[in-house]
Amino acid sequence: MFENTLDSYAHSNNLKNVNINFKVLFAFLTMLVSLISTSPVIPLLITFLMSFLIIFKAKIPWKFYLKFLTIPFFFGFLTFIFMAFFFGTGAPLFEPGIFNLAVTEDGFNLGFLVFSRIMGGFSCLAFLALTTPMNEMFSIFENLKMPKIVIEIAMLMYRYIFLFLEEAENMYYSQKTRMGYGSIKNTFKSLGLLASNLFIRTWLKGEQSYIAMESRCYDGSIKSFKAHEKISVKNITILLFFESFLLLGIYLTWGFKII
Amino acid sequence: MNIIETNNITYRYPDGTEALKTVNFEAEEGKIVALLGPNGAGKSTLFLHFNGILRPYSGNVLVDREEIKYNKKDLMRVRQKVGIVFQNPDDQLFAPTVLEDVAFGPMNLGLSKEEVEMRVKEALERVGMEGFEKKPPHHLSGGQKKRVAIAGILAMKPKIMVLDEPTSGLDPKGASQILKLLYNLNKEGMTIIISTHDVDLVPLYAYKVYIISEGEIIKEGNPQEVFEDVKTIRDANLRLPRIAHLMEILQKEDELPFDRPYPLTIGEARRKLKDHFKDV
Repeated sequence: MFENTLDSYAHSNNLKNVNINFKVLFAFLTMLVSLISTSPVIPLLITFLMSFLIIFKAKIPWKFYLKFLTIPFFFGFLTFIFMAFFFGTGAPLFEPGIFNLAVTEDGFNLGFLVFSRIMGGFSCLAFLALTTPMNEMFSIFENLKMPKIVIEIAMLMYRYIFLFLEEAENMYYSQKTRMGYGSIKNTFKSLGLLASNLFIRTWLKGEQSYIAMESRCYDGSIKSFKAHEKISVKNITILLFFESFLLLGIYLTWGFKII
Repeated sequence: MNIIETNNITYRYPDGTEALKTVNFEAEEGKIVALLGPNGAGKSTLFLHFNGILRPYSGNVLVDREEIKYNKKDLMRVRQKVGIVFQNPDDQLFAPTVLEDVAFGPMNLGLSKEEVEMRVKEALERVGMEGFEKKPPHHLSGGQKKRVAIAGILAMKPKIMVLDEPTSGLDPKGASQILKLLYNLNKEGMTIIISTHDVDLVPLYAYKVYIISEGEIIKEGNPQEVFEDVKTIRDANLRLPRIAHLMEILQKEDELPFDRPYPLTIGEARRKLKDHFKDV
């Protein structure tokens, strides 16, 4: 039932066995590099490289990946348009002739830079999200000394999201078979019932799980049981080379503008 | 020797309805005991008394001949000895991976990491779920989830395992795998208490059977004794095992000489039929 979710790809891609610390460091550093760049060249290069890794190395179906990218793409594109119109001063490049709106040169450049940074940063995040199972991220959070309570809540939320998704789906289908979504009025009514019912079930399930945890000597804190791996020297070298290559690119394209 | 014993326990819900009425339940060490009863008879409520989750309104519960004292230390002791496998594995599996879930119990017992690792490995092998360590529970099938839930209890090395409807919601193969596992665990000395309304499998495994109805134990004894009392069984919304029912019909309708006690399992029926047709 969850064959097509992010989560199932995170668990079944070709890079899932690569050292987790390496992946996180790789994605995070690359994202930083993408953010400090003052020209759109490097962020776009990063977008391209990350997409390449995701599709050809991690073997995520390109259709799924593109669909995944559309939301940030539209967000970035809108930002680009707004910035092009409302930022910057100087001679106008283009005037549509309504409300005195005009695209200026630095507005256009700034908009495009922000767009490329969004895409660069997002592709790094996508790389992480699509190749790293959430449960392994929890051990990273732990290494980063994030408060225990936050990690525990996140862990429980992660587990129960799928249970409630399933429950909600079942309820939705059973409402649908009884014409619950036949008219707009019915749709509102059914959705309301579904939401309130789901809330009550959450409550009951929470109680049940608490009993089950108590039966296994739960004392208020989940003691972590995770393996911590070290990054190999080879991986660190690759990482350093890659990031310095990007930084060199940033130096060379410093202040580069497309117009 | 009784490893679990309840003496006249009564339990009331906060609204005053009596869920258990002076229940006396005994489980002998190293045996399989079955608690038979229809839905809502109080099976789960009774089970939650075995490890001190619920406290009886009156009466007491003895685990390993010691009365439960309901303080933190004593409850820890009891919960390590009595492992409960809940009916719905989704209630029990809370961790993001199989490995972490099975490790939860032993980690709570304060064992060393090496010891926990060993126990988890052992428990997963025992239930045939090795290789699934890194999977999240929502990527498992119902039977697999059940087995992981059992492993989570096994890793705590309890003396008694209590299972609430262990075969409900499983396909026949999954159900028989679970039963085989329980049978083997019992052979190694673990006391097993199961609740069920599947009357066909009870006579195959159970040493002693209790029938509970509306919060009261209405019958107890070995399977042969319990199923002899057809009226009580039917009054409790249960039925005879299929085989026994067939024999009953053959006797009553077709006047074949299969008198009580009716055979309860295929093996017993086979013997009886063979004896009969040898003479013909």
